[in-house]
Amino acid sequence: MTTLKPPKSVIGLFEDEDTAADALDAVASAGFEQKEYEILTGTPYPEGTFGEEEPIHKLYRFPLIGAACGFTAGLLLTAGTQLAYPLIVGGKPLLSIPPMAIIMYEGTMLGAILFTVAGIIFESRLPRLFMGAYDTRITEGYIGITITSGEDEMPKAEEILKKAGAVDIKRGWEQTDFD
Amino acid sequence: MQEHVQLTQKQINEDLLTSVLGTPRWWWPALGFFVLVFLIGMSAFGYMLNQGVGVTGLNRPVFWGAFMVNFVFFIGISHAGIMISAILRLTQAEWRRPITRAAEVLTVFSLMSALMAAPLVHVGRPWRADLWVFPYDFARGVWINIRSPFVWDPSAVMTYLTASTLFVLIALIPDLAIIRDRSTGLKRKLYAGMALGFRGTPRQWKLQTIAGILLSALVLPVFVSVHSIVSWDFAVQIGPEAWHSTIFAPYFIIGAIHSGVSAVATLMVVMVWAWGWNKYITPDHLDAIARLLIIVATAWFFFFFLEWVFALYTLEPAEMAMRKLQVFESPWSWLFVVFLFTAYFIPVPMWLFRGVRRSLFWMFVTTILVNVGMWLERFLIIVPGLMRRSEFIFDWGSYHPSIIELAMVAMTFAWVGMGMLVFTKVFPLIPLFDIKEGMVGRDEIRIGRRIVPASIRE
Amino acid sequence: MSEEAVHNGHGSTNPVEVMNDLLEKGSGQKPLFWRITALLGLLTVAGIVGFAIRLTSDGLGDTPKWGYHMALFALILTAVQGAPMVAIAPRIAKAHWRRSISRAAELFGLVGVVSFLIYIPLIWVLPSMTDGRRTLWFYGELNVPAYMPQIMATLVLVSLVVTGLSLLWVSARPDFAFLRDRSQGRRRKWYGRLAHGWIGSSQQWYWQKHRLGILGAFYFMMLVTVHFNVSVDFGMALVPGWIDALYPVTHAHSSLQAGVAITLVAMYVFYKWGPYKEYINFDQFWGLGKLLFALSLLWFWFWFSSFIIFWYGAKPSEEAILDLLMVGPYLPIFFVVFFLVFFIPLWAMIWNPLRRSVWGPVTIAISVLIATALDRIRVYVGAFSVSQHENKHQLDSIPDAVLPGLPDVLIWIGGIAACVLVYMLAARFIPPINIWEQKELKLYQVHKKFHRTEVQILGKPD
Repeated sequence: MTTLKPPKSVIGLFEDEDTAADALDAVASAGFEQKEYEILTGTPYPEGTFGEEEPIHKLYRFPLIGAACGFTAGLLLTAGTQLAYPLIVGGKPLLSIPPMAIIMYEGTMLGAILFTVAGIIFESRLPRLFMGAYDTRITEGYIGITITSGEDEMPKAEEILKKAGAVDIKRGWEQTDFD
Repeated sequence: MQEHVQLTQKQINEDLLTSVLGTPRWWWPALGFFVLVFLIGMSAFGYMLNQGVGVTGLNRPVFWGAFMVNFVFFIGISHAGIMISAILRLTQAEWRRPITRAAEVLTVFSLMSALMAAPLVHVGRPWRADLWVFPYDFARGVWINIRSPFVWDPSAVMTYLTASTLFVLIALIPDLAIIRDRSTGLKRKLYAGMALGFRGTPRQWKLQTIAGILLSALVLPVFVSVHSIVSWDFAVQIGPEAWHSTIFAPYFIIGAIHSGVSAVATLMVVMVWAWGWNKYITPDHLDAIARLLIIVATAWFFFFFLEWVFALYTLEPAEMAMRKLQVFESPWSWLFVVFLFTAYFIPVPMWLFRGVRRSLFWMFVTTILVNVGMWLERFLIIVPGLMRRSEFIFDWGSYHPSIIELAMVAMTFAWVGMGMLVFTKVFPLIPLFDIKEGMVGRDEIRIGRRIVPASIRE
Repeated sequence: MSEEAVHNGHGSTNPVEVMNDLLEKGSGQKPLFWRITALLGLLTVAGIVGFAIRLTSDGLGDTPKWGYHMALFALILTAVQGAPMVAIAPRIAKAHWRRSISRAAELFGLVGVVSFLIYIPLIWVLPSMTDGRRTLWFYGELNVPAYMPQIMATLVLVSLVVTGLSLLWVSARPDFAFLRDRSQGRRRKWYGRLAHGWIGSSQQWYWQKHRLGILGAFYFMMLVTVHFNVSVDFGMALVPGWIDALYPVTHAHSSLQAGVAITLVAMYVFYKWGPYKEYINFDQFWGLGKLLFALSLLWFWFWFSSFIIFWYGAKPSEEAILDLLMVGPYLPIFFVVFFLVFFIPLWAMIWNPLRRSVWGPVTIAISVLIATALDRIRVYVGAFSVSQHENKHQLDSIPDAVLPGLPDVLIWIGGIAACVLVYMLAARFIPPINIWEQKELKLYQVHKKFHRTEVQILGKPD
């Protein structure tokens, strides 16, 4: 159900989980594609509570890449400084592995953590500059279902959400609070 | 944990955002007090910069005094955050939920205090130490000696500070979205910016949950390394007899956990007293942390015992003389007794009683005692270790911290208090989304006449 | 998750059905079992022959000759007697995944008897403190007997073995009662004796819970004490200049690590060749695997914490210790130990397909067990090879590596065979899956629908 016109979004608010899950089924069976609708909640629920698909992510690659970068940076820093200024201190040989290991370890962990944080933000699809249809009651316990599609589909979307038991429906294009 | 009140998300928002959306009457006087102490400390620091380190009690051969004690102490306190947050997250302990953020924030401000104590104040003329590093003068072609523990130390502390700050910030995002939704005008714009457009999609929640576990697993090894490396500042030296011991790394770590978890328990009590969050931090939570403290304290005591046994095992005259000084010569002897009783022999037997574990007042008193004891422990490691008369030292004497030094010590404590208070005004100290998740995952199993609390495991 | 790891506990939710199923599974006759038992018996006899050869040819006074015997005792103490902690620690933490593991771990308490039998000759092998070595007992300054190390080590080891047996008995008593009620004749009489009047009254259950808690805490304390005494008096004290305050903790930590590893191997055997597939599932391998991974990382931390002090301090006495135990005659062994006990677990466990499988953690466990054996050889054969007593502050010369002779090989084969034999027989007569804990799990574990998904609800009683 794709369209060439710029997409618009609408949100329906539901008071309980079962109604929201039924509404999600109704949206899906009305022909909207997976990427066109989302469920918004104020707290994490067990996966699949609303019958939604499990989100796929590649977060685990980030710490590995970060660790490799951090390790390399640590190795270059520790080996490079000793070779660039080859001064024997306290009888410790140049390229002393135990102290190098300590700094390389910190570098590895720092790299892994920085990349993980970047990965979390990236994989969460943040920052999101335009909120689209949203309602502040989501963080109060209401469950929201948003449908983002072509302008022509909006009446149909609103109808489905209303039929499914939404206590309120808001149009994204009429909201100014978050953009 | 039998006491449980099921709350709605709206109620949770109202209760836990009181610190951010409102200002309690006591808040300004409390902040004023900490700012005053901080300013007095800064004035003392200015005086020391003007007059030189002679205004402190530091003198040959004791060049590491109260500032270094403070450095080790605050690095220790900073271990609270990761101990509570990471380990309890990884073990899925339900009682972690209301205390993780407070513990993590305590980590961040304690680390800053540690940095204030050592590289800023302790070096006497900080520009000679710190500006040597920043900005680095590449033109001279002189590079740092990475074989020195004083290079390992900042690399570990800065990694830990970066990691724990990011840990706090990532876990704050959903709560910032809640504040965004409850504020207006400029405030809303600011929180909306900080919340990065978080909306609560399943993807965002999944990533948030994984972030908690993954970052815990990554920060945990850093936490272990930080205090180990701080301990090696002392232990790799062969000069002061009492310092050159292989046990130092784990001994410092377990001591840090003892001190840090006690500080978190103190903070929990303060949170209940100050904001009335007794629906969230219940006697069950205090009971759980006190039980943990019994184990941690006893493990710490075992390492303390090993440290002493092996000091005596050496049979080296210098080591023996040092131990005699610590235990039999005043004022170290009575400080030693105070340390043992406050760090272990008073609190631990008291925690064996259920009534004490579940009492706000007694938990406050006992955990403060632990930290008095643990500050003294570091003092007794550092100062007598240095002041002992040994070979090739021709000048010796005792050490008494001066009033100027004590003002700067107080300043570091005030910084933590100030930081925590300002934090609570801007961000929620109890993670709202974590509490809400706990409420969603809460269940009960009925077995005959008994109802057993249960939780969802995916 | 691999295909073989998808089982999710016994299907029945009825505790009585679970019990009957477990009892039926445990009563099957298997000729292969008895053939293996006979073979292990023969190998044990070979070990006794090896011991006899060593005793008659070298006597008990030649300490360096007994290094491998000591290393075997240290290995069994480390791996076998550390295993009951795998039942104790998760039980205290109320972790439900322990339930299928706890008995398999507690059964190793019985194998502790073998450890004690192997220890007995060492009482005479260890010289008295009259040789002037540095000891923990301030011999000469305080009025202590010259054989104080032997007296203390024996006392604490006996306490550990007795506590291990008590723990097993207290834990298995309800299961003995189930067996008593379902068997006839002599078996009924024996199980009746072992059940010792167990009728399942609420008072009995109450005391059983508390006894398990107290015995568990006591076992842990005794385990730490034994490792302290053994590592200091049978290792460190024999090497002049070896002053490592952390080593007793490292030794005890290895015991937890090897204990987890040996339990993992035992669980795999029950899973693969025993009839308990419904009870042992991915959760157990996952839980133990994570624990093993964490303990392997801790091994590195403990090792490095000691090493950096010696390497950086670089006092002649410290360099001599590094030379003897790490970079000198035992360098190849140390290298292999480092690789197997830390490097392999680290890299293997960050690899998802391996971590989330049944075979992965077991492979790592085998790697850890081999490393523990080699490490004990490195430390104790090295320490026993030192015969210098004049200068107690520093090792003057580094002795050559001691290679095992035929008696040593036989003693090792026999000792390990005896342990396996005792464990197999114990598992034959005591249910290797804890029946009452499985029944209890059925009370606290509920699978239910949560809106559109299925979740597991786990109850945590006080």
